[in-house]
Amino acid sequence: MTVVSPEFAEELKEYGDDTALQCFNCGTCVAICPLVDDSFPRRLIRYVQIGARERILASGRDLWKCLHCGLCSRTCPRQADPGEIILGLKRYVLAAWREE
Amino acid sequence: MFDPKIIIDLLAENVRRTGNPFGLSTGSINGWWKGADLPRQGANLLFTGMMYQMVPAINAATGLLGKYEDTPAGDRIRFGRRVPRFLSAAVLKMATAKEDRSAAAGVLMDITRILQASGVDFAYRPELDGYSGILLYDLGDRENFIAHARRVAGRLQEAGVERLITVDPHTTWALRELYPRYTGYRPEVRTYFELARLQGNGDREVTLHDPCFYGRYLELSQVPRTLLAGLGVRCADVNSAGPFTSCCGGPAESVSPALALTVGRRRLAELQATGRPLVTMCPICHANLRRAGADVMDLSALLVRFTRSGENSQKRAE
Repeated sequence: MTVVSPEFAEELKEYGDDTALQCFNCGTCVAICPLVDDSFPRRLIRYVQIGARERILASGRDLWKCLHCGLCSRTCPRQADPGEIILGLKRYVLAAWREE
Repeated sequence: MFDPKIIIDLLAENVRRTGNPFGLSTGSINGWWKGADLPRQGANLLFTGMMYQMVPAINAATGLLGKYEDTPAGDRIRFGRRVPRFLSAAVLKMATAKEDRSAAAGVLMDITRILQASGVDFAYRPELDGYSGILLYDLGDRENFIAHARRVAGRLQEAGVERLITVDPHTTWALRELYPRYTGYRPEVRTYFELARLQGNGDREVTLHDPCFYGRYLELSQVPRTLLAGLGVRCADVNSAGPFTSCCGGPAESVSPALALTVGRRRLAELQATGRPLVTMCPICHANLRRAGADVMDLSALLVRFTRSGENSQKRAE
């Protein structure tokens, strides 16, 4: 069961920019991402928005496919900065792995 | 794909121990300057960031990782939560190719020639040169990046260095954007091609691949184009360039050589569509596009070709 936790975005502030709530899920980042994955990075940003902590941790490894190329951030119509959100999630997941 | 944590922890430990992500001694990777008779005093310090020097190790590590990725042996590495022995410094040192080491040294020597031909007052002090730690930052290990960056910045501050010349986009971005933010060290940082003043009468067209950090993060794409135009070299239009350049795929090489290759091949196809010789200005792009099958030249080699051939007829001193 996925627990929804709207305050999760607040928790993530320690790890990076607080821009996930700017995203309105248009999918531009998915279309432009060189990984050509059908839902990256939008799916993970959606998880941040609803606070799906467990889902983020469960799919944590996918974060490191991100090349940090910045094309998604450059083209985001909402200035949600998806590339920096992904970088913040890498920090969050790495910290969680190291605490295990 | 390999377990990112295993790779990150290995790289972080190597950086902490030796100052570079491969655990190699600085002396073993940074010997290009020996015999070059470079000045030790100057208004600007050439800071290579060791990225070009590490390309031989990057190629060796990527080759070895690529053999194990998504294989039963690779799965044991992935799930065994142990550092793969083939990534040890001793193995990497043996696996580096002599031609890769020569090529890296050649780029850096070419850059010093460009600076000299441009009348730039610069010094090189190998004891102050070092890896910026940028890979740790990109992989999400901010804590270890900051610890390393503070050591590097502290060394430069102690030596009173205020002006740096960089040679690759990753180090340039780290020093311009991240070091001020995380270490408080705020040097003036310029790339060698921002300082180059060369003119010539070449009449050719090349395909220039903009690396993400020069094209998008630092918005410097126009600088090398202007410099090349002064040499009579035109840059062919590329699908995805400047702030909207496409990634070469190289940044994925440490966790998934297969992914790096897939993205690299896709970018190479875009670049090859021009039918012109391919030029890069980033060691990571250069190495990954080569692995994807490209015949590629570094920007420094193109620039120095004109300097050597006498086409650099009008030099302007800084």
